[in-house]
Amino acid sequence: MTSPSVDSTSSDRVMIHLDQLSKRFPGQHDNAVDELTMDVREGEIVVLVGPSGCGKTTTMKMINRIIEPTSGRIVLDGEDVTRTDPDQLRRRIGYVIQQVGLFPHLTVGDNIATVPTLLGWSRDRTRERVDELLSMVNMPPESFRDRYPKQLSGGQQQRIGVARALGGDPAVMLMDEPFGAIDPITRDRLQNEFLRLQSEVRKTIVFVTHDIDEAIKMGDRIAILQEGSRIAQYDTPEQILTHPANEFVASFIGRGASLKRLNLSRVADIELSPWPTVGVDASPEEALQALRATHHSAVLVLDESGRPRRWVGAEDVRHAGGRPLDQVGLPPEPVVEPEVTLSDALNELLTARYSVTIVVNRQGAFQGVVDIDQITDAVRTMRRTAVSRARAGLDENP
Amino acid sequence: MSAPTSDDTTTQPAVTEEYHAGHRRSLAGYLVMPGVLALACLVLYVYVSQQELDSIEARSLNAATLTGALWEHVQLTAVSTVLTLLIAVPLGIVFTRPFTRPIRSYLITLLTLGQAVPTIAVLVLLAVVFLFLGFWAAIVGLVLYAIIPVLLNTMVGLEQVDKAVLEAGRGMGMARFTVLRRLELPLAVPVILAGVRTALVINVGTATLVTYINAGGLGDVIVAGLSTNRVTIQIVGAALTAVLALLIDYLAGIAEDLLRPRGL
Repeated sequence: MTSPSVDSTSSDRVMIHLDQLSKRFPGQHDNAVDELTMDVREGEIVVLVGPSGCGKTTTMKMINRIIEPTSGRIVLDGEDVTRTDPDQLRRRIGYVIQQVGLFPHLTVGDNIATVPTLLGWSRDRTRERVDELLSMVNMPPESFRDRYPKQLSGGQQQRIGVARALGGDPAVMLMDEPFGAIDPITRDRLQNEFLRLQSEVRKTIVFVTHDIDEAIKMGDRIAILQEGSRIAQYDTPEQILTHPANEFVASFIGRGASLKRLNLSRVADIELSPWPTVGVDASPEEALQALRATHHSAVLVLDESGRPRRWVGAEDVRHAGGRPLDQVGLPPEPVVEPEVTLSDALNELLTARYSVTIVVNRQGAFQGVVDIDQITDAVRTMRRTAVSRARAGLDENP
Repeated sequence: MSAPTSDDTTTQPAVTEEYHAGHRRSLAGYLVMPGVLALACLVLYVYVSQQELDSIEARSLNAATLTGALWEHVQLTAVSTVLTLLIAVPLGIVFTRPFTRPIRSYLITLLTLGQAVPTIAVLVLLAVVFLFLGFWAAIVGLVLYAIIPVLLNTMVGLEQVDKAVLEAGRGMGMARFTVLRRLELPLAVPVILAGVRTALVINVGTATLVTYINAGGLGDVIVAGLSTNRVTIQIVGAALTAVLALLIDYLAGIAEDLLRPRGL
């Protein structure tokens, strides 16, 4: 299987069980959510996705009873919470909304301390937790703890929003289009960061979006909802892309399902290609030697710790005129980390000078490259896997 | 993608300093108004001391009478403003809760109408119809009038709080009262204080009228000057009222600066 998350993250324990949950708003004829029954397993990200007005946000907000259900039951970790004290319930559930809603008159640190304070944690424990969370969302505590929300960019505010939701270390998080109001580049980065964070904290997450691409990228499982929050299909992203259950799902996914599948696997899941490299203090002759040994038109110059420094071609070496290798040629672009999706990698390499994307580990050391052949291979493998799995299901239930 | 956070997280700390400077006045800015007011008082003193005062003028224009009137005026303003706050802010809170929504628009219409009735009419009504005179009658008249700006500002201040902030608060498990105390009221403080400042200034001015129901204040001085046709007395009464109004407005401005939550 290409996506590592599906099989490894979630246990079989049901964390959230919704039982025939309905909501009818006063003065409306139809149920906004109509007898929805679904399970969310511990440690998985379930994305609720659907057209606007399908009831996905209402569904999510009924889990922490910001919207009280008209009928049905909510079972959280085996406990029926449909009638319990909603304030106590909400302190156990992280909540992130699109508008972030940071408290403007409180510092970043005090914002994150909201739930710990409500839970009555000691001052020391709260302070430790705040610093820990700030580090987790890549914002150094010493420079951000005492700032006010107004002094942060939109992306930073949403990072604090996520940190604040994690404040009381809840088992469950609800996220309502958390990256919806953020520019595409920052959104992409926040999504990647969040996936990395989730691989550490392993929360059970219900994530609402209207963007199918975001759903495919973020979800371990996706529930595609129709009007009245009726489930059109509830399955892994692979299954939804390869075997849409009906017309509605197929049209919602839209065209380019194959390309979307590239959002399912990460660079870490495929085998990287090698690329000729030389050390930064290599002589021009050594560089040319390395070039001649392969069919590539440039070598990658690495520094002492293995970090990429320059692309150097044969022409560059000849015109170097005695300059060291890291001062000729081109900057080492594009560079990605193993967490990025193949789709991101493809985007990068399409515009790259040597038609490859450099992959580095978290320390920045060179790991290998991704080229177009590997991406087409990955697409082929995915399709084969999906088809054989579907056929396996066919054989079991004749 | 190699450095997923670098450009986003390294905002320069310089932002912090700019940001604080924008909200508080400089020390020199704070000193301008008291200087102007002291100068005005000095000019007034020099002007009066160079006049030949007749016995009527001397009876009004002496330190004991003037400080007495001034003190009464300050008391009228202070007591009426404190009472106004005690009544109007809780009312403003009540009228922004969901359960009062159905009557809210009627209430605002009523209040706006009420503000069109002059205070002097209220005072006369109290005196003639209820035979209610003196300090507390004056307080009733002043409070009735000043409630309106404070109440309206409290309501506006509470309603302009970002709904997302409140939803986040509720979503994290704050009780309704906690949301009010820790989010809504602090965030409404600037608007509420602007209403209080308005009320204070209204009260200083209106308190000159309560002399007609025998409640004292600087109005005594002005009316004494008017009824005896002594221009100097009228000028002193009017000038002292103006200086007091400006001083109180200035002090209220400082209070606004100090009480406004940081970060807004």
